[in-house]
Amino acid sequence: MTKDKTTKKAFSRRKFLTRGAVVLGSTVVATYFGMPFIRRYLAQTVENMDIGSMITSYDPDFWFEILDDNTILIRSPKVEMGQGIFTGFAMLAAEELEVPLSQIKVTHANTANGPVDSLSTGGSNSTSSLYEPIREVAASLREMLKAAAAQRWQVNVASIKVKDGVLSAGGKSITYAELAKTTKEWTKPKKPTLKPRSEFKYVGKDVPRIDLVDKVMGKPLYAIDHHYPDMLYAVLVQSPYIGGTLKKVNTKAAAATPGVVKILEEKTFTAIVAKTRYAAEMGLAALEAEWEVPKKWQKADFEATVTVGKGKAVNIQNVGNANSEIKTAGNKVFKQAYRTPLGAHAQMEPNGTVASYKDDKTEIVIGTQMPGMVRDRVAKAIGQKSKEVALEPAFAGGGFGRRMDVNNANEAALISKAVGKPVHVFNTREQEFQNSHYRPNTHHVLQAVINEKGDVTAITHDQATPDMVLESVAGDVGLAIFGADFLSAGHGASILYNVENRSTTLWQMKLPLKIGIWRSVGMFPNTFAVESFINELAHETKKDPLKMRLALLDGPEEINQRYQKVLKTLMKKSAWDAPKQPGIGRGVAIGNDRKSIAAAVIDVAIVDDAIVVKKVTHVIDAGVCINPNGIRMQVEGSIMMGISATLYEELSVEDGQLANNFLAYRLVTLADAPEIDITIVEGADIPYGVGEPPLAPIAPAIAAAVFDLTGKRLRSLPLQLDAAES
Amino acid sequence: MKIDLNVNGKAVSVDVDPQMPLLWVVRDELQLKGTKYGCGRAMCGACSLHVNGQVYRSCSFPVQNAAGKNITTLEGLSQPDAPLHPVQQAWIDECVPQCGYCQPGFMMAAAQFIQEFPEPSDDDIKSHITNICRCGTQPRIIKAIKKAALLQQQQKK
Repeated sequence: MTKDKTTKKAFSRRKFLTRGAVVLGSTVVATYFGMPFIRRYLAQTVENMDIGSMITSYDPDFWFEILDDNTILIRSPKVEMGQGIFTGFAMLAAEELEVPLSQIKVTHANTANGPVDSLSTGGSNSTSSLYEPIREVAASLREMLKAAAAQRWQVNVASIKVKDGVLSAGGKSITYAELAKTTKEWTKPKKPTLKPRSEFKYVGKDVPRIDLVDKVMGKPLYAIDHHYPDMLYAVLVQSPYIGGTLKKVNTKAAAATPGVVKILEEKTFTAIVAKTRYAAEMGLAALEAEWEVPKKWQKADFEATVTVGKGKAVNIQNVGNANSEIKTAGNKVFKQAYRTPLGAHAQMEPNGTVASYKDDKTEIVIGTQMPGMVRDRVAKAIGQKSKEVALEPAFAGGGFGRRMDVNNANEAALISKAVGKPVHVFNTREQEFQNSHYRPNTHHVLQAVINEKGDVTAITHDQATPDMVLESVAGDVGLAIFGADFLSAGHGASILYNVENRSTTLWQMKLPLKIGIWRSVGMFPNTFAVESFINELAHETKKDPLKMRLALLDGPEEINQRYQKVLKTLMKKSAWDAPKQPGIGRGVAIGNDRKSIAAAVIDVAIVDDAIVVKKVTHVIDAGVCINPNGIRMQVEGSIMMGISATLYEELSVEDGQLANNFLAYRLVTLADAPEIDITIVEGADIPYGVGEPPLAPIAPAIAAAVFDLTGKRLRSLPLQLDAAES
Repeated sequence: MKIDLNVNGKAVSVDVDPQMPLLWVVRDELQLKGTKYGCGRAMCGACSLHVNGQVYRSCSFPVQNAAGKNITTLEGLSQPDAPLHPVQQAWIDECVPQCGYCQPGFMMAAAQFIQEFPEPSDDDIKSHITNICRCGTQPRIIKAIKKAALLQQQQKK
């Protein structure tokens, strides 16, 4: 782990720049409008809301530290899991701090010494929620430094100039570091004025990642790399069966394995503690465990459970009279059904925690998307106060939603407490596949009415899938009020298009495993179904799918203008109107993921009976572009993850077990990388998210391209040519 | 059992179970954390390193098979006080890593690959390097390998 403890704090504690936090859940009260209205209203409001952060302190002292070499250390409240947030924050802070980017370092805020965002890192909102706050905090620091220099030199603060981390006035000059070290009294500034966009030096320009060199040189940045001198290694005994519980265990052979120190049988878990990771794994292999498996689940059970018409229905969109239009239209109704499978995150660093229990200060090192919550849970598990637990977020070896969980942090802390030494507790890859939370399988039924003129007059979308996250965010009360998880399961389910009558209904049920967020949340399955259906409607009504979208997304709102710009740019960039190339199929799709709009035209070919993505032309409008290089990286990553989930990924369920390795859960490799053409459009004056939105159009555009080439409609993911329907 | 190794140009001796995978020896006995655990089954390539100049997936390589041999991990790929290894330089030039966790394995695989394929085509790269990256850096890895091959040629001139 990187440690930056070279300089002690230079500022005194001070609270200012406080901001309101977004609180979901029990504060929402149902009124006489009735539940269906409330739920629809909330669904629409939350879908369009700028989700803020829940950072409790905007004190520069918490955020920044001026180091002796005159570099400025930022303690990031958001965690770096590959999305490049450290680089974006450094760029934004550099604008107001008046230092070159090379003079900024970024580290994670430890829960003991920095700003902790209890809302977590996710939802692609880190940049949008902190675009202004981080600049305000940086500007406040600069103004405090200027005021201190003015005081020291007894000159008017307006005469102080700042450049490259040096303050000057009337021939005198001093570095930030010198000034910070020797100043005792600080003046609290008023809310500082921020630079206009036209004066930005870095924002909008290509900047390499701030963590680039460390990552290329193989620095020990990740939790799994963390080391204490007298550390032990443990593995947890975890069920290889869905819903399995430990019935009987014979620990004799495991305990006798060379290097095994102890088999820890606690109320809630069993762990093998050893001198080395190898010995812990050997101990696990030697352990004789008998599992109580209530039911041997099969894929067919998962599909039967997740079916439209089952569970609880909640309507989240109702424009016009879509349902009655469908009922009375008889044979003019066009109807199709779609399915997406159970998915795994399969991030490259398995989850785990290094814990060092101490009576007064327990240390936790973990790659997590929710440091504040994990700290609180660990504290509770070991009977300490939250402030007695110092959680150091590590660079995460991939996130994608997988680290929105406590994972094994509690067990690691309890093991460390039991053995009196620091302990390293990481999942094996098999455990990581089989003891996770998952992207649930989904089922979608879409219906439309097409009138005599060939226009679509009504669309309904019925979607079935379990709750992904709402219960954990809003609690039982919130879930009861909301009725269904429109935040995540229903994310992207509503019909964007200006069709007179539109209705979206979520059917919600339970699956026998933990369900969670997977990159782009509901957008991935919902956009596959809805955009595939739109492509089918274009074909049914003999319209060009891209031009039909242009027509149905026209309107007076800013968002309509943004759709038009994105689609027209895509049309031009992809040479959409050019003659068809032989052997190539083309498809198009668009998505709106919390105000970031992404659209793609995808070219496919069939090679050796397999679908091959040849080219992706992608256009994204995420508002203000902070770092074009960073956006391109996220778009490329989303394209590859999208191709992977569209062509290969399905977590198998067979005889009560999930797939447990990379052979059984196939991912893309270098061989799958297509030609990629990315265009960034800036259609708004604030930044929106880029980590997830580019993923939305990938699956439906590939499916449409396959139809264009082969005439086969594939309506289930992963797309399989031999599974073609009608 | 005592096993002598040469790691990144230094002679070292470890006292471990001879069956212990080389991965855990370099990571936990020698504190070289650049080599990563990904799957433990030689499927993902995150643990790739060189033994006598050949790429191996060290999670499935018993340390006894490395006895007396030269091992290079990412930490030893570039020589001290020399220009960066062409692969590492190309990885920086193309700004490849996102989360970065799988990249050491890719770089070690690429370093050997460009010796065998000094002027690789996209197809050469795609059919020879089978490591897994979940962030989706594959398009940049392909560019970086071609750049590395070019830098390697320039360094040789």
